[in-house]
Amino acid sequence: MLQDRNVLEYWRKLTAYLITLILFAILGGRYYWLMIASHQKYAEKATSNHIREVPIEAPRGIIYDRTGRILADNRPSYSVNVIPIEIRRHPETLTLLADVLNTTEEELSKTVKRYQRGMFTAVKIRSKVSIDIISVLQEHNLELIGVTYAIEPTRFYPTDVQLTHVLGYVREIDAEDLKRLDRETYAPGDVVGWKGVEKYYESHLRGERGYRYNVVNAFGQEIGESDWRKPIRPVAGNNLHLSIDADIQRIVEQGMGDSSGVVVILNHANGDVVAMASVPGYDLDVMSSRLEPEVWRKLLTDRRKPLYDRALQGLYPPGSTFKIVAAAYALEHNTVDPEKTVLCRGSYRLGTRSFGCWNPAGHGRVDLETAIEQSCNIYFYHLIQDIGLDPWAGLAGQFGFGRITGIDLPDEKAGIVPDTRYMDREFGVRGWTIGNLLNFVVGQGEVLATPIQMAQYAAIIAQKGTLYKPHLLKYVTDGEGRMVHTYSNTAHTILQLADTTWKQLHRGMNLVVQSQKGTGRAARQKNWSLYGKTGTSQNPHGEDHAWFIGFSLDPKLPYSWAILLENGGSGGGKAAPLMGKMLREIAKLKRPKG
Amino acid sequence: MPNIFQRQLRDFDWVLFLLAVLIAMAGLISIYSTTLQQEGLLERNYFVRQIAWFLIGIVLIFGMAFIPKKLVFNLAYIMYGFGILALLGTFLVEDTNGTYRWFRIGGFNFQPSEYMKIVVVITLAKYFSDHHRQIQQFKQLIPPLLMVLLPTAIVILQPDLGTALVYIATLILVLFWSGIRPLYFFLLLAPVISMLAAFNIFTFFVWMAILVLVLYIGQSKLWFAGINFFLNVFLGGLTNFLWGMLKPYQQQRISSLFNLDADPLGAGYQLIQSMTAFGSGGMFGKGLGQGTQTHLKFLPEQHTDFIMTVLGEELGFVAVILVLALFLFFTLRLISIAYSARTRYTSLILFGTASVFLFHIFVNLAMIVGLMPVTGIPLPFMSYGGSFMSTCFLLLGISQNSLSGNRV
Repeated sequence: MLQDRNVLEYWRKLTAYLITLILFAILGGRYYWLMIASHQKYAEKATSNHIREVPIEAPRGIIYDRTGRILADNRPSYSVNVIPIEIRRHPETLTLLADVLNTTEEELSKTVKRYQRGMFTAVKIRSKVSIDIISVLQEHNLELIGVTYAIEPTRFYPTDVQLTHVLGYVREIDAEDLKRLDRETYAPGDVVGWKGVEKYYESHLRGERGYRYNVVNAFGQEIGESDWRKPIRPVAGNNLHLSIDADIQRIVEQGMGDSSGVVVILNHANGDVVAMASVPGYDLDVMSSRLEPEVWRKLLTDRRKPLYDRALQGLYPPGSTFKIVAAAYALEHNTVDPEKTVLCRGSYRLGTRSFGCWNPAGHGRVDLETAIEQSCNIYFYHLIQDIGLDPWAGLAGQFGFGRITGIDLPDEKAGIVPDTRYMDREFGVRGWTIGNLLNFVVGQGEVLATPIQMAQYAAIIAQKGTLYKPHLLKYVTDGEGRMVHTYSNTAHTILQLADTTWKQLHRGMNLVVQSQKGTGRAARQKNWSLYGKTGTSQNPHGEDHAWFIGFSLDPKLPYSWAILLENGGSGGGKAAPLMGKMLREIAKLKRPKG
Repeated sequence: MPNIFQRQLRDFDWVLFLLAVLIAMAGLISIYSTTLQQEGLLERNYFVRQIAWFLIGIVLIFGMAFIPKKLVFNLAYIMYGFGILALLGTFLVEDTNGTYRWFRIGGFNFQPSEYMKIVVVITLAKYFSDHHRQIQQFKQLIPPLLMVLLPTAIVILQPDLGTALVYIATLILVLFWSGIRPLYFFLLLAPVISMLAAFNIFTFFVWMAILVLVLYIGQSKLWFAGINFFLNVFLGGLTNFLWGMLKPYQQQRISSLFNLDADPLGAGYQLIQSMTAFGSGGMFGKGLGQGTQTHLKFLPEQHTDFIMTVLGEELGFVAVILVLALFLFFTLRLISIAYSARTRYTSLILFGTASVFLFHIFVNLAMIVGLMPVTGIPLPFMSYGGSFMSTCFLLLGISQNSLSGNRV
């Protein structure tokens, strides 16, 4: 009944109080734990929840030639990025995106996996995207949750010279590449110099990536920039100023045409690499973005091997150009009387084997000078037997063979100068004979050299044993044009021979070009006296390689060079005339000295 | 007129009223913050609407004060009948999300299960004050049990597990307050514990041992003890079956409680975001309207079930503790005056009200910080929503109503 009295035991009230207090104590404890004890942890979580770090790519340093012309620049291009966490939340985004980008969902998710840097950081899935595609994507903005666009600087080559292997290229590193790189500095998706000076001077060229902090809502839409987390500006990389002369490089590249081979031109007065072309090259523009697998496959399987840097990695027998080594030794050590003649009948018999001269008719009686001029093999067959292998090999080493030149480019090869130890190791103590020596002296057999070594060899002779190391970098400036670093090349006397020796070598090499019987006469110039040596090196894979090395002592044109035409035929017949043609054009250029 | 006011409001408990208003203010502040970036028509604005519901609530409280207590008492079972009909009526029209919780009258959406909470309190109070002399007999406990289980069953079918639990909890707590023998109370509570314990076979065996021990100590007759024991074993076995009956999202909500990070984008998402909001709020919060979790929409249901999260993120631990204290005083005040009430009816109404509120407060505040599964229980006086807001004020109004004439 309504008016029934309330008579309740006291313990019931107590129990009710107790239960209430316990429940509130649980709540209070939990809130204390969450809001005070774990505050730090959750504060960070809340921040990463809504602040999205958007990288701003730094432009790489610009690469200039010696006269300040731009060889490699940056150009803004659009890239399409996705945020991995959003893709996971909204898988339909990929479907639509694949449609617009004309690819498959699987391809896209593979790319995301390869370049991913965490769930919240944008992963680039396509670079160099046209503005048309960007506008289509913008139209579908609302359906494409987690898709962002960025303008990023990409490499762009505003000149008509190729310079493929000198400049090299950059590439975006993926998770796989990262195993070989410094994990502190690099992250997947970073652009890194992969070949050429781009690789060698990576630390200069590479800028510092900046970041923008965008506020993101729970739907993954960016609302704007965070007002408390200030953006970090990207720092542009430093600019390289190379010794390359774009005009000379162009002459050289065009001169090479469709042949395969190398031209290296050094300024022996200061070590500058004025031109260096390994042909065929390839279009650096296709390498400047993420490479299409098909393009890459094509380059890899091309029979002319465009990816291969012949100038630094190509190992070739130097042929007759190598005779200068033996001649220098003989002159220096008076091994023979330079006036003394040897009779060349076109071939030479050693034991049961016959060794031929390039001229089967024979050169008749030749002295040292004539032997250089006309490149007589028979003379040198005699000479080497008086010198011996190791003294000869030692001098070849002093001419820079068998070790890298140390040019500022990656992955240079050293070549081979065989000596007794080398031969014993390779063939056994009894496995080789004096016959091998006859091959070596004319730059055949085991002797292998790179074109850059050959150009350096010419420079050493030109400078009478003094060498400025071949070098590409002249100086480095920062984004504001301030000088950051200057390379000062110093001369080293790496080979001390009597001045008379050098003079006689110069005379002989001068005759090669200037005399009527000289093997390099096809390179002769009007009013410009050149020094040279031709070489025709046999190789088991086909036509002979044609060499022509040489130099000019004209102080206005202090160039040393080496040209190699792979399977080009004879040095005198092919390499010398081509070099002559290029030199003629180079001489015509109006160049300030330096 | 002043006479009527004086008479009717003589026993009005102003402390309870004031606490409720303060709590509602905290709720309004939080809702205000969530609507800072809301665009659109003024009448669609949660804050404006909630103020309207708050004012209606005030009117309801005082309105209830003028209704004779006797009328409420006498109409209790009739109200119950209407309540059941209204609950069944929800099945006539399907809601937009495939449930049957709402009932539309004119332009208003009306949730009968909310009003049923009040009806359950009144009905139980009436039953136990009518039958208090007989309740030492176990069979007298059957009718109130059925009276609560009927709406519970209907609500489960809607389906609305949270509200069903409110009815059950209210029943259990009111039973305790009605003065029944502790053994009976224990035996009535036992089936619930049996079902929970059945999730783990080891716990279940321990619990069964306790049950047998209590039956022995309580000197029950063998047949009575036997029925009880086997009923509990049966219900424990039923748990697995009922678990299978739960909707996948309900299962997920329960299991996500135990492993938040297993599915950070799915069921655990709300909890992770809510806990992040609280944790990042710290001592003094990020400032009103400055909560990143709230305003960047990381927080789901922020103006309804998760309203306290907004307060925690933006005003910090200090504000949370302040509101907790208000809720605590409110609950203790209800229990206290329930204990000292002159009549059984008043005492049971007040305690029933306290039960409903305590359940809501604890479950809501525990679920938003990962102590309980997310069950869709709103926070009294604070969560946005007309039906629930007016239910809270009506409950308080019924309590005030029952207090009239409390002092002779």
